Amino acid sequence: MPVYEYRGLGINIPDNDSEYKEYFEAAGDHRLVVRKCLGCGLLRGEPGHGCPWCASLEWEWHEVSGKGTIYSYQIVAHTVLPGFRDWAPYPIVLVELDEQRGQPTPDDGLRITANLLDENMAPEKEENVAIGGRVEVMFMDLENGLTLPQFKLSDEPPQGPVWRHPV
Amino acid sequence: MGTHLSDKYCIVGVGETEYSRGSGRSTRAMAVEAISKAMGDAGLSSGDVDGLMSYHGGDSIPSTTVMHDLGIRPNFHMDCSGGGSSTEALIGLAMGAIEAGMCDTLAIYRSMNGYSQVRIGGTGVRASAPVAGPDLTKRPYGLVSAVQNFAFTFTRHMMEYGVTNEHLAHIKVTHSNHASNNPKALMKQRVLVEDVINSRWIVKPCAHLLDCCLETDNATCIIITSAERARDLKQRPTYVMGVQGRGTKPGGDFHYQHGPITRVAGYHIGPRIFEMAGITHDDIDVTSCYDAFTYTALLQFEDYGFCEKGEGKDYVSSGITDLGGKRPNNTSGGHLCEAYTHGMNMVIENVRQLRGQVDDYCPRWQEGVHTYDYSEGGCRQVKDTEITMSMGWGTPAIGSAVILRR
Repeated sequence: MPVYEYRGLGINIPDNDSEYKEYFEAAGDHRLVVRKCLGCGLLRGEPGHGCPWCASLEWEWHEVSGKGTIYSYQIVAHTVLPGFRDWAPYPIVLVELDEQRGQPTPDDGLRITANLLDENMAPEKEENVAIGGRVEVMFMDLENGLTLPQFKLSDEPPQGPVWRHPV
Repeated sequence: MGTHLSDKYCIVGVGETEYSRGSGRSTRAMAVEAISKAMGDAGLSSGDVDGLMSYHGGDSIPSTTVMHDLGIRPNFHMDCSGGGSSTEALIGLAMGAIEAGMCDTLAIYRSMNGYSQVRIGGTGVRASAPVAGPDLTKRPYGLVSAVQNFAFTFTRHMMEYGVTNEHLAHIKVTHSNHASNNPKALMKQRVLVEDVINSRWIVKPCAHLLDCCLETDNATCIIITSAERARDLKQRPTYVMGVQGRGTKPGGDFHYQHGPITRVAGYHIGPRIFEMAGITHDDIDVTSCYDAFTYTALLQFEDYGFCEKGEGKDYVSSGITDLGGKRPNNTSGGHLCEAYTHGMNMVIENVRQLRGQVDDYCPRWQEGVHTYDYSEGGCRQVKDTEITMSMGWGTPAIGSAVILRR
């Protein structure tokens, strides 16, 4: 995969990128994948080569539903990236996927960072961004061939308390 | 856990360049000046220093160049990759190198044009660098600067523990009061809670502009040697009672996989440093707590155990951390108001507190005579400081600490 230009960034995914090349190839097929340990069976959100829990080096890609809950968020008011200025203020969310919530310890989970966007791929309104909000993955296909997994609000009711800071 | 190196090594010299936003010179020139000043402070000559260590983020000058400029011939030298929380960890590594017999007296330095060249906040050179590796799931989403990297921890902590922007603002207010008594400080102006709240947003809901530290051009240096040698040197020795770092949360947690994400590395290394030092929190007179942002200080107070989890908001807004309070914090003004140095200025300040040598506006501070009047433009020496603790922050997942005594 080559170097992709996106909002002024040069996104470099060389053929020897052992972690992310296949992750983004799957995104191109509109599949969100994580790694599954073949030793203990646990999934891991960060695509490293050993299992954080059993240290097995055996793994396979595993497709997840892309449904989850906003675990934390930030609204970037001042961006240092010139290519994002037309978006600011824009939300970045830490999404906890439904798979493997609270495992193997109660505070662990599969967490993915992305923007929270509306159906038109524009930043979601600040007042709609809240911890506890239900979201689902969508795929942003860029003209250059790169696909970025992104998230949008889903129609599902929240499964627990919803909180957003009043600013 | 071994405690056998407690009290056996000392900080014997400290030095720094001017703190500025536009040094107009190289990191090499600044590093050499800071080391030279620290040697002068300790009463050491180039031939007495045989170890050099530095830390950097690809933005500094290596020991191999600096040693030449000063005529130092190291028996040991090493340049480490790292930013915040490196200072304290390198103090421990210096002790280890000396204990192993690899050198006798070691200078640790950090030199950075952190405002005019490579900005820590990510603008300029860093913003235009290609995105690869683990950054692929961050920067394409417009997530690049330090405060953005930490914000998921901050926001979640606000939800779980009811922290408000007013609580956070108190940290800036306290440090600005301290900086007003520090001739070296970049931002000497005292500010009020409403000044912080009314400054523009950087990242909602956890960081206004005045919640963020001051990117700075500077170099800093600390010199370490054995307690035995320290007794014959110029300054009253500052003993290292305990040191830990760079300790981490499980897995380093670069992408918030491991919880609780509101917990920081101090939770793991705090008990170790208090055991090594053989003291409790109540024994500590002065702290320095890494304030890259107001929130980083609050989180560390909680997880190092200066208060219960969730009570950091009260700890920082109740006067405890003020000069004249029970346990003043960042008496120099810290990163928020003195200068952003990646941690070294906070250890330097604590060394001067322990010596009674704080450089404030007291007419006779150079003789160690202080007024203890903490009003604006006055004193910032804490009376009879016996023990200090510095808590360094790398990320929510990475931290270091050092406990010093006189």
